Amino acid sequence: MSTRYLLKRLAQALPAVGAILVLTFFLVHLAPGDPSVALGGEHGDPGYYALIRAKFGLDRPLSMQLLIYARNVLGGDLGTSFVHGRPVVHVIAERLPATLLLMSTALVVSTFVGVSHGTIAAWHARRPTDLLLRSVALAGQAAPSFWLAQGAILTLAIGTGLFPVQGMTDARRVSTGLAYVADVARHLVLPALVLAVGELALTTRLVRAALIEALGTDYVRTARAKGLPELTVTRHALRNTMLPIVTLIGSRVGMLCAGAVLVESVFAWPGVGHLLLASVLARDYPMLLGLFLLVSVSVVLANLLTDLACGWLDPRLRYE
Amino acid sequence: MRRGHRSWLVMLALVASWLAPGPMSAQDTPIRGGTLVVAIPSDPGHLNPAITTSGATHTAAELLYNGLLGRDERGNPVPELAESWQIEQGGAVYRFRLQPGVKWHDGTPFGSADVKFSFDEVLLKFHARTKASMEGPLAGIETPDDRTVVFRFKQPYAPLLFQLDATEAPIVAKHIYLGTDPQTNPANLNPVGTGPFKFVSYKKGAEIRLAKNPGYFKKNLPYLDEVVMRIIPDAATQVLALENGEVDFLWAVPGPQQARLHADPRFKLAQTAYNPGGSNCIMTVSFNLDRPVLKEPRLRRALAHATDRQQFLTQVLFGEGKVATAPISSEIPWAHAAGLPMPRLDRAEAERLLDAAGWKKEGDGPRVARGIAGVSDGTKLAIDFVHFPTFSKYGELIRQQWGAVGVAVTLKPLEPAAFAPAIFKDRNFDTNVISYCNGPDPEIGVRRMYHSSQISPAPFTNAAAFRNAQVDALFDEAARTVDRDKRSKLYRQIQEVAVQQLPYFWLVETLTTRAWQARCADFKSWVGLFAEAASCKR
Repeated sequence: MSTRYLLKRLAQALPAVGAILVLTFFLVHLAPGDPSVALGGEHGDPGYYALIRAKFGLDRPLSMQLLIYARNVLGGDLGTSFVHGRPVVHVIAERLPATLLLMSTALVVSTFVGVSHGTIAAWHARRPTDLLLRSVALAGQAAPSFWLAQGAILTLAIGTGLFPVQGMTDARRVSTGLAYVADVARHLVLPALVLAVGELALTTRLVRAALIEALGTDYVRTARAKGLPELTVTRHALRNTMLPIVTLIGSRVGMLCAGAVLVESVFAWPGVGHLLLASVLARDYPMLLGLFLLVSVSVVLANLLTDLACGWLDPRLRYE
Repeated sequence: MRRGHRSWLVMLALVASWLAPGPMSAQDTPIRGGTLVVAIPSDPGHLNPAITTSGATHTAAELLYNGLLGRDERGNPVPELAESWQIEQGGAVYRFRLQPGVKWHDGTPFGSADVKFSFDEVLLKFHARTKASMEGPLAGIETPDDRTVVFRFKQPYAPLLFQLDATEAPIVAKHIYLGTDPQTNPANLNPVGTGPFKFVSYKKGAEIRLAKNPGYFKKNLPYLDEVVMRIIPDAATQVLALENGEVDFLWAVPGPQQARLHADPRFKLAQTAYNPGGSNCIMTVSFNLDRPVLKEPRLRRALAHATDRQQFLTQVLFGEGKVATAPISSEIPWAHAAGLPMPRLDRAEAERLLDAAGWKKEGDGPRVARGIAGVSDGTKLAIDFVHFPTFSKYGELIRQQWGAVGVAVTLKPLEPAAFAPAIFKDRNFDTNVISYCNGPDPEIGVRRMYHSSQISPAPFTNAAAFRNAQVDALFDEAARTVDRDKRSKLYRQIQEVAVQQLPYFWLVETLTTRAWQARCADFKSWVGLFAEAASCKR
């Protein structure tokens, strides 16, 4: 894979990101609502709200606002949040690590467990173990994540007392070093688990289907005839099923972002999902556009990484 | 009475008996030290309550500040940064004597210049309620010496003493804000106040940590070493966090969870009409008097008679409140007019009034116009009802109750950011429901609903577009009348006119249920400095 290919792909992504930005700009501004109430509170006089609108440039024509915004974005300035009164980039940067931690943990858990479950289900195809794993996967996929979240809190947090209900750290103790890592890890378990369960189901089902097909192919029959252990045979077969699985995982980044909005709100996880929801309610336009930009760039990058991973998994693939 | 209805009432009575108002449980000997973890529903964005009326900022930040005056449990003004006050020239001049030896959290002495600066440069420019109510009447603020502040009004101004607490007028430091834009000053994220707690840290989206102010001007307060405001957006999660011992204090418990918490001896609950974002609130139906159909008083009265307000109390609020008996909240007892002839649930009377107004019942559908001037014959009686999504249950009940007398209701849920422009700017509605908060004085939260000068695009003003010269004059006179008995009579006259003309219909006065760990005590539920004297056993 050449650097030229990478640059080409990134260049191709730019118009898409630009189009998303323009589209979301109009969607956000054309949605009914006015941020001046959220900003100033109720009970103001018209002059007060006019002052707020003028301060944030909301009294200018929409096309003018778009031009100013586009110019600022090209200069690396995503604007200042109406609600937080600080640069959007700073506010997002404060929240991003929490979301990245949550999403990456959920992605690793769902991938690892999904591939394991799918493999076991494929080994025991059409037998009780397969049926059980498929049913669990289906239930996980079908259950609404807010229900799963409440269920997890009631059983695993309140029920066992092992995990906290909310937050990223213990409010009563400020810890540092390893104690801090352990504290965050304990708080991470439930939200990551809930976020992973929905994704887990898809991976399980895809791995199972792909592996059953691969285990029935001629090269597997030959390998078995040569007396290779079943685990080695499965490893070979699994590698050949990895392309669609990696593609699936890459394409789920957008869905994970959507899931994070809900899971972060239920578990009071201080990430960008929680911020996105609050920004929608307050009509914090610059913050919303910054977050949409972040999500669209993440999806583009995830697709690129997926292609890179596929190239690494299957050396026959050539990118020009 | 139907069996279902009776069981609701029994449950209501039980909940009401648990939550009877009273002091928020006194600790015999307050314990010093400890951390109080408080759940707050949203990230405030900044911690300067002087530049906004946003409930999120006030909830999180009022413990850092003080007002000139506070309020006792009955709503009467009590000394805070001002130790005493005098009313001169019949209420046109207020002279305040400040507490001696008060210091800002950074050690700088507090003085009268801070008060004048806070009003002139911050509150009268950016605090929506203070600006709207005081900017016009105030002639100026004088500081004859470092401990005296004089407010001069153009004419007698009655409500001043009720709008000087940390919610309505928190005092900020002149040496911090002088020469800066108060809305972007970095101190909004690293605040310096005079309050019982000092700012420690603010982790965005997660928590705000406050520590005891050892130099607080009120002797021996506060007791707690630390207060942590933990941001938990989901109300159900807040309750679960309380049950799991992660949180000590909740500002609001949703109705369905109250019985469970009350049954658990680990928790205490109490109801209050105060909230930092607005107090003494009444869920109110507005009739758009600019719409020809709703101009007809018999139609409005018919809709009022068709409304079963008890159902809102039992089915929506789970007993958190009371059926409104007057346009002004009973939580402002001196201004609340008892014994007014509010339209009672009477569907037969509602149907008679609709018939008399020309809206006839023909078949099973909505009523149709017959012989109504300005409305073509056969027009169906169909109106819309705009509400916040969180008030959808009010909409469902209204549709059901008004539907029972032949009025077709279309529900239009709109988020708060979209609701305000639709109602007050575009005036695109027939009816709506708004939680109108009366505030500590009718001049703050009631005048805006009825005075014709308040028909404006500004949110949460006169939604009905009610115009009545007599009512305008009475409000103006009440604002100038310092004598409370005389004011009380003026407000009674206003309420009599309102109940007779029904530009609005007042459903239920809402209360909020606070909950906290039983090992903690002495919360002041009626002010923003709620944890000033609180303490917790370890």
